[in-house]
Amino acid sequence: MRESVVITVPSHPKYLSVIRATTITFGKLYGIREAELEDIKLAIDEACANVIKHAYKGDTTKKFIVKYKIEKNVFTIIIEDNGLKADIEFIQGRDLNDIRPGGLGIHFIRKVFDGFRFDDHKKKGNRLILTKYLHGNQ
Amino acid sequence: MNIEIGEYKGKKIIALSGDIDMYSSPELREKIMALIKKRIHTLCVDFNKVSYIDSSGIATFVEGLKGMKSFGGRLQFFGVPPRIMDIFNFSKLDRVFEIYGNIEDAISS
Repeated sequence: MRESVVITVPSHPKYLSVIRATTITFGKLYGIREAELEDIKLAIDEACANVIKHAYKGDTTKKFIVKYKIEKNVFTIIIEDNGLKADIEFIQGRDLNDIRPGGLGIHFIRKVFDGFRFDDHKKKGNRLILTKYLHGNQ
Repeated sequence: MNIEIGEYKGKKIIALSGDIDMYSSPELREKIMALIKKRIHTLCVDFNKVSYIDSSGIATFVEGLKGMKSFGGRLQFFGVPPRIMDIFNFSKLDRVFEIYGNIEDAISS
């Protein structure tokens, strides 16, 4: 990735604040509007929380990678882990009318990003590729 | 996140500040559940200084609401910043949470 920022993060929830701060700082460099950037921050935070919860099952001794890139008005975030493969429950989330704890994170991710896919080529763990078309920024 | 529990005009107030996320929400859950166990009739949550909430924070409040309703108690929010209100609206939780503009509106309801 050219002109990208890559961070390696321990799989402990206390480091989610570092990811949020990095997201804001990176987005501001490219002039993303504050409201849009707040949505992006939440979505990336949720995707990373899912790595800790689902891929690593709460094991705080692992690591994962978050890559940020903006090129030609496309914001790409890649989140890579070496944990368990993501399952269908994670991908679908719950019905928003079914009020109960959990199952919201994926809705926040899908609301924000235009592209959401797992790279099938990654044999061990997950490589989640999120893309967003930026309009009126930069 | 910082959690301060106090009282105002006889109502229990939980004043929160900072980020409510996957790291901080277990502590919040523990405190809310302890108050539910004591069957406090009304819990008012002050959101004025909350800067961020994620799905784990929301799940904590959904669980708290269910716990309060189990004995006829009320969970009220006030001072919810617009950004967090947007998240409640998107999640359709504005329909189930009691949300007030300020503390006086909450306690007089």
